[in-house]
Amino acid sequence: MNGSQMQALMPILMLSLTAIVLMIQASIKRDEKATWIITVVGILLALWGAGYARDFSQPVTILLQVDNWGLFFTALVLLASLVTVVLSQDSFSSEGGSKEEYYLLLVLSALGAVILIQSSHMASLLLGMELMGVALYAMIAFPKKGLLPLEAAVKYLVLSGCASAILLFGFALLYAATGELSYKGIGEKAALAYISNPLLVMAGTAMVTAGIAFKLSLVPFHMWTPDVYQGAPTPVTGFLATVSKGAVFVALARIYMDAELHQYESLILALSVLAAFSMLIGNLLALLQEDIKRLLAYSSIAHFGYLLIVLIALTGSEMASEAVTFYLAAYILTTLGAFTVIARVSREDQQKSQISEFEGLFWRNKIQATALTIAMLSFAGIPLTAGFMAKFFVINVAIQGSHWFLLSALVIGSAIGIYYYLRIIFSMSKTSGNDIGFRDRSGDITALLLTVLILMLGSWPQPFIAFAGGL
Amino acid sequence: MENQYANEIWPLAIYFGMVIMLVVTMLALSWVLGQKRREAATNDPFESGVVSVGGSQIRISVEFYLVAIFFVIFDLETLFIFAWAVAFFELGWAGYLSITVFIGVLVLALVYQCRSGALEWGNKTRTGLREDQLTTGEST
Repeated sequence: MNGSQMQALMPILMLSLTAIVLMIQASIKRDEKATWIITVVGILLALWGAGYARDFSQPVTILLQVDNWGLFFTALVLLASLVTVVLSQDSFSSEGGSKEEYYLLLVLSALGAVILIQSSHMASLLLGMELMGVALYAMIAFPKKGLLPLEAAVKYLVLSGCASAILLFGFALLYAATGELSYKGIGEKAALAYISNPLLVMAGTAMVTAGIAFKLSLVPFHMWTPDVYQGAPTPVTGFLATVSKGAVFVALARIYMDAELHQYESLILALSVLAAFSMLIGNLLALLQEDIKRLLAYSSIAHFGYLLIVLIALTGSEMASEAVTFYLAAYILTTLGAFTVIARVSREDQQKSQISEFEGLFWRNKIQATALTIAMLSFAGIPLTAGFMAKFFVINVAIQGSHWFLLSALVIGSAIGIYYYLRIIFSMSKTSGNDIGFRDRSGDITALLLTVLILMLGSWPQPFIAFAGGL
Repeated sequence: MENQYANEIWPLAIYFGMVIMLVVTMLALSWVLGQKRREAATNDPFESGVVSVGGSQIRISVEFYLVAIFFVIFDLETLFIFAWAVAFFELGWAGYLSITVFIGVLVLALVYQCRSGALEWGNKTRTGLREDQLTTGEST
């Protein structure tokens, strides 16, 4: 590994350094405030590193691929981590009252996500996924109060462990069939191996798909999502929904493109079924939810169904890679915006996330109520928000690839979606008479910034589209 | 292609069937021929003739688990160092540098464990509290 390769790894190096510094700091003198500052500085340094590494795009060993596309998502993931750190500051307390380790775990989890985004080899994929996952289990179980976080963590741990095992077995089968573990290598040899040994390739691909679909909570691998979303402390839920899922989707897109999987009809069919079920079932089950975190869990299932359409139509359209970038960016920003407000409203008790808790929010805190409204409109895909442009891209790509079946599922799903997104807005505008306002500077600023970003992506998207096209 | 798989797999299928048959036969025979009793001590676990005492769900101190985990972790780290050691000359200075960083991080992790009280038995000082503060829960 030479100097320029080390420079290409700048964001990864910065995050690793932050984790080590945090560990030293915790062993010298415990001080939550100092830990918080070190974490923020570390993530900002990693963000700088992501910009710095742009000039050094190249494959680093066979494990990692540093390119502009990956670096953009690295920056996005780091931004989401930063928001999580800001939200976590006074959101929940831990056993013993101090939570230095929480920030350490958060940095490690972000590091895993960055590795996952830049991976070009099954080994680094698994490494990144596990680093991200194992840190997340502990983050979910961190709050002191209540059994729900513990239940969520155990559920996520056991099911995620199963999914990883299936994924690993899939890799093993693909390795047995092709003798390769890098995405490109598998792609080159899979076609030949498929002729001589169809069962092995098919079983391997199915298992890898199932493992990744679990992490993206696509139907029918979605059972864990609502419980984990509800049980986890809200900042962690936001982190899980944006960083974890976003990174896994980028990895999936990379496998899909590098290994040229679009030539396998059966895989396309399988992905189409997953996408259609996710869109329909995700949206239908979201109708029944009374808890806003559970509702957003089902909504995220549906959104990853929409995203899969882009992947399926990847070759049929020139816009597809831009569509992935745009949709994922819009989804991450919108989700962060929504969870920012939810985390601040239920600051006292992380389990207080019933929709009824949000009644009269417009009278209690105008900025955050507006932010949540914009986020919900963006989820629903109303014009002038990022979600509209994102959905526009998806529909465009689906029409170009003439995937009419998936398109109709998307239209039905979106129509159902509007009902439950608007329900939250209605609930916020209902006054109960004695609404006491609350002041919350860090939450207001974060929510405001994210709202501005969402509106900018939606109403003036040209610069970003040009930027995404150049990635 | 399909036929070839079928040819290779039929002994396995027969073997599988035989295993199932054997198990079913054993269970069925002992159920038909065996004596059936319903008495006070029939369902008690057999503990070498002694009547068993207490529940089976004992709380085991979490320290045992911690020690086991640390053993596994550090054992695994040794494996990485072995893998480097056998290729010492081939890897040269780059390998030496990598393993130095690796061992350095490992030492830091050990320091962190010591300081956070993971290696202590009994009262934990993980939270950075003194022993007398642990009960009241106030932070320093």
